[in-house]
Amino acid sequence: MIEDDFYRTSSQFRLWSFTEDSLRSLRRNTNTLASDRVRDALRRAREARKSASSSAVGTPNPNASDADSKTGDEKDIECLTPEEEQDLVRYFCEQIVQLGESYKPPLPTIVRATAIQYLRRFYLTNSPMTYHPKTIMPCVLFIATKTDNYYMSLRQFANGVPGDTSAEDIIAPEFLVMQSLRFTFDVRHPFRGLEGGIMELNAISQGLGQPAPHNLQQTSDDLRRAMLSLPLPPNTSSSSISDRLARAHHNAREILKSAAQMTDAYFFYTPAQIWLSALLLADRPLAEFYLDTKLGGAGPDPTHPLTQLHAKLLTTLHNCSTLLQSYKPLASDPDQKKAMRRIGKKLYHCQNPEKVNNLAGQKRIPAAAAATAATASANDHDHATPESEMEQIAKKRKVEGDARRKDDIFGGELVMERTRERQGS
Amino acid sequence: MPSSREAMVHRGDEDEVCPVCKSSRYLNPDMRFLINPECYHKMCESCVDRIFSSGPANCPVAGCHKTLRKNRFRKQTFEDINVEREVDIRRRVMTVLNRREEEFDSKLDWDNFLEQREEMIFNLVNKVDVAKTEANLQKYAADNMSSIRANQALEAKEVTSFQERQNQEQELARMRRQAAREEYENERKEILAGREDVLTRLASGQPADAAAIAREGQKVILKKSSARRSEEERIRQKQAALRGTDAKKPGQTTATTAEEAGSGLIKGLKKVKTPEPEKPYDPFGGMVPNKRDYYSLQDDYPSSYLDPIRQDHRMLAGGYDLQEYYSRTLLEAFAGLGCFIDEEVSKREANSFNFVKPVGTHGALAATPGSQGDK
Repeated sequence: MIEDDFYRTSSQFRLWSFTEDSLRSLRRNTNTLASDRVRDALRRAREARKSASSSAVGTPNPNASDADSKTGDEKDIECLTPEEEQDLVRYFCEQIVQLGESYKPPLPTIVRATAIQYLRRFYLTNSPMTYHPKTIMPCVLFIATKTDNYYMSLRQFANGVPGDTSAEDIIAPEFLVMQSLRFTFDVRHPFRGLEGGIMELNAISQGLGQPAPHNLQQTSDDLRRAMLSLPLPPNTSSSSISDRLARAHHNAREILKSAAQMTDAYFFYTPAQIWLSALLLADRPLAEFYLDTKLGGAGPDPTHPLTQLHAKLLTTLHNCSTLLQSYKPLASDPDQKKAMRRIGKKLYHCQNPEKVNNLAGQKRIPAAAAATAATASANDHDHATPESEMEQIAKKRKVEGDARRKDDIFGGELVMERTRERQGS
Repeated sequence: MPSSREAMVHRGDEDEVCPVCKSSRYLNPDMRFLINPECYHKMCESCVDRIFSSGPANCPVAGCHKTLRKNRFRKQTFEDINVEREVDIRRRVMTVLNRREEEFDSKLDWDNFLEQREEMIFNLVNKVDVAKTEANLQKYAADNMSSIRANQALEAKEVTSFQERQNQEQELARMRRQAAREEYENERKEILAGREDVLTRLASGQPADAAAIAREGQKVILKKSSARRSEEERIRQKQAALRGTDAKKPGQTTATTAEEAGSGLIKGLKKVKTPEPEKPYDPFGGMVPNKRDYYSLQDDYPSSYLDPIRQDHRMLAGGYDLQEYYSRTLLEAFAGLGCFIDEEVSKREANSFNFVKPVGTHGALAATPGSQGDK
């Protein structure tokens, strides 16, 4: 099928599609790596403190002292399990939805969905222990507004983020996130696909449907008649076909907005399968009828490729819809809430101390340079004017540049060379 | 040429008698004899007109029952009727077996072919195995229709090009002759003019200068003639060069265009590689641009949400096309419906075993630039 080949070229299929096993092992791997680093970092911090042997004033992380006071043994640092990490990420995915809702006007669903997928992809190769989701989450949403063409200035965006997060804080991990996304910003969502399907079902219901290319003997009248004679889904009163379609559309869309985002559906299934599964949950007879019009033309012959595809697709859709059904919103489930609180507490203890403030180093280069220069000059002499600060930065850069130029096989910057020559002559 | 042939034909005709109507040249001086290559029986023109005007008829010579047609009658070229017949047969066989030397693998094969051809001609002329040979010949002609025709065309082309070359050479020779004639004429005129010049100068000048003037005049003439000679040399060289290029040209016309090598009659033909006919250019590489497997795009889908756009000039003026929306939504609705990730990805991982994991861990490492500090 040619449409499938189109999808196979997408980065979502090439880089961000996994089997359940490979996804699990990838998460486990990320988790082990991060836990090891956390343990190493905490041990180093402790040793540094011991060697200082003074009071615990200078410790970077107070929780380390707690752990230290209880036991000196590093085994007691309990790290998050992959499942806990996953729950945590899901919690922040829900936070993205809420944050998007808080803007006036609310951010479009597709922006939020893209942001959620970015966050999920980010935490495939990074652990919440290394980078706390609460710093990554706004950044991811901001990137999504850009990649989805929903323009919003950074200041405007920062105003909407709760807490005292500054604009700088939001974009600090931007490059890090983009790198972890492997610079693939294309997320294929099932939303538009659902619109297309409903559009076609509408056409069929009005007797304007066209036969599928592999099923040319259908006529639009046949299709319409078949559709009108569909059995109703359970626990619905009989109503007109357009109402039924509208209801199915609405329910499927709700599923796509919530369950499809909060589960691993995007990693395991293609958008077309996801929206059809959502439709299957919303109105099973209707979805099955739709699938039959597309792939049912082969007749009873079990070896026909269309029949085989149909059978395989039904099981896949069934699996996908079970996955979608398994989702329970966090807000409605007190058990999950409790678990989340526990995970949050645990994360507080096993956060990698060397990464907590390190994100500042990830800031965009000019900002970072200005910040470091400012602190350096403040240490040197307190009454430095901004001009002298700038001079100092320039001097520092020049010294560094000279040192670097010796190693650089291509020589230093051209402009610098030229000015020097001019001064020399 | 025709006149000499005429003379030859009429040489011994004085006492010739038409075998059909028994009238002789003595009675009818304008009498002309015709033959038909079917049976080569001679008869006079008036007999041919009389007997064959109303369609084909049997040969009037006693014992010969061949059916003859009027349009096949022609004048005799050779006096000896046997020669005439052989030439006819030879021509016929040669038009069919018109392979060319460059079509053969080796010289030996070419010679074998020539021998075979001669043998067939001999057989036909001397009436040995006529039926078999004829059958062979006809079969070959039927099998190799296209190559025969191609070779014929080639031959015709060669003949015309040869004729052209001949004409060209004649023209060149004529021009050369004319140039030489003009040259000679000019030279003569100049000598006369020089002589006159010297005479007038002698007449007007001092007696003491006479010798000097005479010498000078001689020198001028000499100089002119030598200049002319060098000029002539130059022209000759140019013509030689021209002839050289002419000589090269005919070589190019002999390109092999034989088509099929599988003729049972002739052995040792080169295997001919017919060049693949160039396929028409396909910009999509075999893909049909708007072909879809899951749906067929309609021009219009009823939707209360989209229909107002059709009337909305503000949207349409900007070039918004609902068709684009339809095609995109439907494509996204079905793109990847038949991609079963669990199967395809596991296959992909099996093919390149360390594809996902190293990239993942590498990504994790790359994504944590501060990791040097961790180690």
